Amino acid sequence: MNFLKQTLFTIALCFILQYFLPWWTLALGAFVGGYVFANNGWISFLSGLLAVGLLWFSMALFIDIQTQSILTEKVARIFPTKTPALLFLLTSIIGGLPAGFAALTGSLVKSKR
Amino acid sequence: MRIIKVSVSLLITVGLVYFLNRGWNLGAPIPPLGKFFDPFHGFWQNAVSSKPSNKSLAIPGLTQEVIVSYDSLRVPHIFAKNNDDLFLAQGYVTAIDRLWQMEIQTHAAAGRIAEFLGPARLDFDRRQRRLGMGFAAQNALQKMESDPISKAIVDHYTRGVNLYINSLSYEDYPFEYKLLDYSPEPWTNLKCALLLKNMAQTLNMGEKDLEMTNMLALFGKDVLDVLYPDREPVGDPIIDKPGKWSFKPIVPDTGRSALPPELISLKPFEKSPPDVGSNNWAVSGSKTATGSPILCNDPHLNLSLPSIWYIVHLNSPDVNTMGASLPGSPAVISGFNDSIAWGVTNAQRDLVDWYKITFKDKSKKEYQSDGHWKSAKTVIEKFLVKGGQPFYDTVTYTHHGPVVFDESFHQESESAHFAFRWVAHDASNEIMTFYKLNRADNHRDYMEALDHYVSPAQNFVFACVNGDIAMRIQGKYPVRGKEEGKFILDGSKTSSEWKAFIPNEQNVMDKNPERGFVSSANQYPVDATYPYYIGATSYEAYRNRRINQVLGELKNITPKDLMKLQNDNYNLKAAESLPLFLSHLDTTQFNDQEKKAHQILMSWDYFNTIEAEGASYYEAWWDALMPMIWDEMDSAHVATRYPTTFNTIYLIKNQPAFSFFDLVGTPEKETVTEILRKSFSKGVSNIEAWKIKNKKDPQWAAFKDSFIGHLLRLEPLSYHIIHGGNHDIVNANSRTHGPSWRMVVSLEKTGVKAWGVYPGGQSGNPGSPFYNNMIEPWTRARYFTMHFVTSPQQLTGFEMSSTQLSPAK
Repeated sequence: MNFLKQTLFTIALCFILQYFLPWWTLALGAFVGGYVFANNGWISFLSGLLAVGLLWFSMALFIDIQTQSILTEKVARIFPTKTPALLFLLTSIIGGLPAGFAALTGSLVKSKR
Repeated sequence: MRIIKVSVSLLITVGLVYFLNRGWNLGAPIPPLGKFFDPFHGFWQNAVSSKPSNKSLAIPGLTQEVIVSYDSLRVPHIFAKNNDDLFLAQGYVTAIDRLWQMEIQTHAAAGRIAEFLGPARLDFDRRQRRLGMGFAAQNALQKMESDPISKAIVDHYTRGVNLYINSLSYEDYPFEYKLLDYSPEPWTNLKCALLLKNMAQTLNMGEKDLEMTNMLALFGKDVLDVLYPDREPVGDPIIDKPGKWSFKPIVPDTGRSALPPELISLKPFEKSPPDVGSNNWAVSGSKTATGSPILCNDPHLNLSLPSIWYIVHLNSPDVNTMGASLPGSPAVISGFNDSIAWGVTNAQRDLVDWYKITFKDKSKKEYQSDGHWKSAKTVIEKFLVKGGQPFYDTVTYTHHGPVVFDESFHQESESAHFAFRWVAHDASNEIMTFYKLNRADNHRDYMEALDHYVSPAQNFVFACVNGDIAMRIQGKYPVRGKEEGKFILDGSKTSSEWKAFIPNEQNVMDKNPERGFVSSANQYPVDATYPYYIGATSYEAYRNRRINQVLGELKNITPKDLMKLQNDNYNLKAAESLPLFLSHLDTTQFNDQEKKAHQILMSWDYFNTIEAEGASYYEAWWDALMPMIWDEMDSAHVATRYPTTFNTIYLIKNQPAFSFFDLVGTPEKETVTEILRKSFSKGVSNIEAWKIKNKKDPQWAAFKDSFIGHLLRLEPLSYHIIHGGNHDIVNANSRTHGPSWRMVVSLEKTGVKAWGVYPGGQSGNPGSPFYNNMIEPWTRARYFTMHFVTSPQQLTGFEMSSTQLSPAK
């Protein structure tokens, strides 16, 4: 239950932060999520990773659909990703990974052990 | 224990953020991944939908309201209440669509590409600085800013561009900035000058002086005159009015310097291919269906994306003009207004000389000139290099110009130094020409506008609603003695320098000729009675004759007829050479493939249409033939240059025993018949190899494989197209070059009508539907109506969105 709460919280917070501030503020959002919900380390990590990965994926997908994939396919071919599917995956991982570690850090700071 | 865990986890987090927040070079350079892939600010934000929204912006520096209406082609129609606001808005609006292109082109002109693309481009940058591109732009800037009118134009254009740049944050940056990880810098008036010098370099730096000097030493003067006649035996100059040049010409000094005897082993720069050229013509009302003149223009350039041209409509109480502009330069360059239309093709003229410099000593502080030692100036050029240390280069300037080649650049010898004299180094103010052309009402105004024009020399075609048509070959041309400028010159003698220039009123021009049309296609400019010596790297020999033939035959001409002519695929070169080539072949000796090729060639109608296989076989044959004939040049191991297409065919026809038809590498003595046979076999086997590789028939468009490449040479942002034509054909689309803007203007008294198209789109953004939307119509010879109106209200129905610019408080 706490996992879900942390994830939703992180998505919301990171969305707000990212809307106004540079990309790396996602680490701050995920850190706060990890700290507030104080889940077990790896659960917290997964939550952060999933939250921002999902956030970035959804935002990218939203733009992609709105613009009929006009740029997705081109950029996918500029990088070794080649296909739009892998480009979405890469986008999600690039956002998710630092968020996961930030969330892990947050939960470790809070935890008493 | 906990503290260790926290520290490790924190370290990984910070490390990851750091890693993803900056660019790296992992074999290939990669952008900062976090920034770039962030869907809130990164590249995803560059994808835009086809329905832009209306906007209202407050612009500081604007004096009155400006309305920018975009039509369905994303052409901005700019309605301003005064000229200052108009040019500010042009700068602003152009930057919205083309900022990255504007900047990278001026960086290229200035020799600053390595700063953004890395050390591989340093040689290019050094070349640009050593050619004095910045020096030329500075001279132009001074002249531009010394005239209050042109200064106001450029100041406001620059301010407009900067207002746009200042409004940007990372998420708004054009895609390429994000990919290459840099930011736009402030625009300057100098960049406007650099952009025009960039064009001058493409069009007016043609020369083969080093190559000619080498070939003089290799083959001797008599052979050279056969290989490179001053004037090829092919008719139809741009202006043909023998005996009518009644002015008193300037006579050049006699006693020019002797011919240079040496071989020069330096590596000259890659030259602009002869595919750079253009067509323009104007037909008088006596030949058209409406009784009004029609003017056409299609400049042939390296086809690239973002597109070279940007269509714009400029309206203020002082002007109503529309046409193609160059992103980075104010005003319309090839277009029309309510009274006139004009267009440009490149004027073929030798405007470059190389001077061999004798320095006093290694310090290069002084050099010889008429027995005295003259002081040289040295300029230290600093190059920033992405991912490397700054590089410093010392460039020595003589009174001729910069010393381009010396021991540190493109050659080994310590004794040979070559200074570069280029007409575009001289101060000039072309912006005034275009400003005045945009506002011209008649032939007198057109002539007055052209008096300001220096470089790059162009054939300016003109037509007016009042019925006048005209052509003027405008530029600044040195008065040359016979053969002067063909070879490297002795820089220590002032007698070999440019002493005078042809006065403007003595330039080649004509108005309302009897034949009812004027035309130009980069051919020899004028009949033999024109009193000045004219030289150039090469002249076009085929397009111009086809155009004149068709224009001569046509009656009751409609704009559609002329669109058809712009897209005409008739291969006059093949028509004149293929029957001759085929007559040399012994048809009994063919293998099966050659038999088939022969049949295809025999039945070909000389049209380079999309489907024509004959065109592919002919081209493959030609491509095999040229290096076989001119193998003497390739085996010389110094820089040389092949003779022209026309002269090659002329020699095959008229001098079949010419010594160059022998292959150097074989013991036998070949004749033209054997060379044609061998190249035919080679051409056919090349086609067979192509067929196997591509698994299809060699239809012309597929075989040619025309390509419109992104400026960064990124394949995913580029397009292969299916289109006919070729160089030497009116529809001049070769593999990489072609008609970069096709315009047809009917100058009717009831209102000027115009159509245009170019192979690209108004937006430079690869994430916009307007990045490439005109490519396909262009390949199908389709045109778009130019909505040439006088108020935004008249655009109702064609309007896509509107941007209102208001003065900021």
